[in-house]
Amino acid sequence: MGTSKSSEHAQAYVGSVSVFSGRPDPVWPLGEEQARRLLTLWESLDPWAGGAAPSAPPLGYRGSLLRGGGREWHAYGGAVTLREGPGVETRLDPGRRFEKLILSTAPDGSLPHPFLDQELHA
Amino acid sequence: MPVKITVDIFSGRPNPSVELTGKEAQDVLERLKPAETLTADAAEKTATPILGYRGLIVEPTGKEADKGLPGRIRTAGGNIVGRGLAHRAADPEFEDFFFKGPFKKVQGVTNLRGRILQEVERGRIARENLALKLLPFPIKLACLCAPLYEPNWWNDAGQKQFNNNCYNYATNYRSDTFAQPGQAAGAMYTSLTCASVLPAAVADALEDSPGANNKCPAEGHLVALVIAPGWDFHWYRKGRNGFWSHKPGSTAVTNQDNSGNLIPDPRTANRGPYTDFCTFMVVKHGHIKIQ
Repeated sequence: MGTSKSSEHAQAYVGSVSVFSGRPDPVWPLGEEQARRLLTLWESLDPWAGGAAPSAPPLGYRGSLLRGGGREWHAYGGAVTLREGPGVETRLDPGRRFEKLILSTAPDGSLPHPFLDQELHA
Repeated sequence: MPVKITVDIFSGRPNPSVELTGKEAQDVLERLKPAETLTADAAEKTATPILGYRGLIVEPTGKEADKGLPGRIRTAGGNIVGRGLAHRAADPEFEDFFFKGPFKKVQGVTNLRGRILQEVERGRIARENLALKLLPFPIKLACLCAPLYEPNWWNDAGQKQFNNNCYNYATNYRSDTFAQPGQAAGAMYTSLTCASVLPAAVADALEDSPGANNKCPAEGHLVALVIAPGWDFHWYRKGRNGFWSHKPGSTAVTNQDNSGNLIPDPRTANRGPYTDFCTFMVVKHGHIKIQ
């Protein structure tokens, strides 16, 4: 499930964070440059080869997401999983770069930082 | 003395019946006189209600009471049960007699006659195969009125899972709106505190039950409200087996806490950032409205 076509950068992409239970999770639109950087980073990631990808506990921060073009990338704990229809592909995310890059695109005030800081800086 | 015979077969529609008089009625009463006493199992099978054909109900309708019958008896499979009665009938083939004879006088079932006779046969077999397990008394089930734990119904990775949150799941109410406490009543919470979310839920007709102490209510089921102060609310629901489960946002329903343990009590579960336990509440089925 490669994503190397440059034309797809013009598609609408959104960032999100899976964190809330009662309230809807924050969702924000990404600029073309932000989406391009994320897709380029995805292309550079190596395949995941460590068994099952890490999973978050049910309550609290559960990872960041990139959505667009019928695809969804879920980044958590050093792995990024792309879902496109029935297809699933997981890649390594050293230093949680992809996960943090999505979070860095969030508008000010949209993220519950106490939740995230506890997780990302633990 | 006239008798009314009702074919006890329907659930929603009125049952068909026929009234017999004179010699026909007398013949019926003779055939239904009690013979030998039934075993407890046979009596229970005759009296146990099932869907479909359940037997014939015979009730004298005249002014004179027949000393051999109580006011109303049920006969099925050659047995008769009623007040003070649990016996074989003098004529164990009474139903055959009825369906071959008096049944033809029943009005308004012309199109159903064949199907009724088929159902009578099916009902006989069902009753013979009825396995009765007597429950000990008093019955001790953890939470008889609580919803089943059926995560697969919610975890469809689609419409149900993504558009229903912890409040939907806890109240067992699929709205596909990511329901917010108080929204349906026009009284949505104004801050993410126990003091604000609790009355919003009350406005949706949930009942505050702070003293529930993790005990199931007599009516409805128990839910619990917790808060991540300033950020979010979360709900759990107590299941029929006494354990709690929850649906964190648009993610899958689970019966585990943040430590991967089952949840016997949400007050002591690992709730991550939802540090404030607000209260237990009761959801009475059909009472609430959420949106």
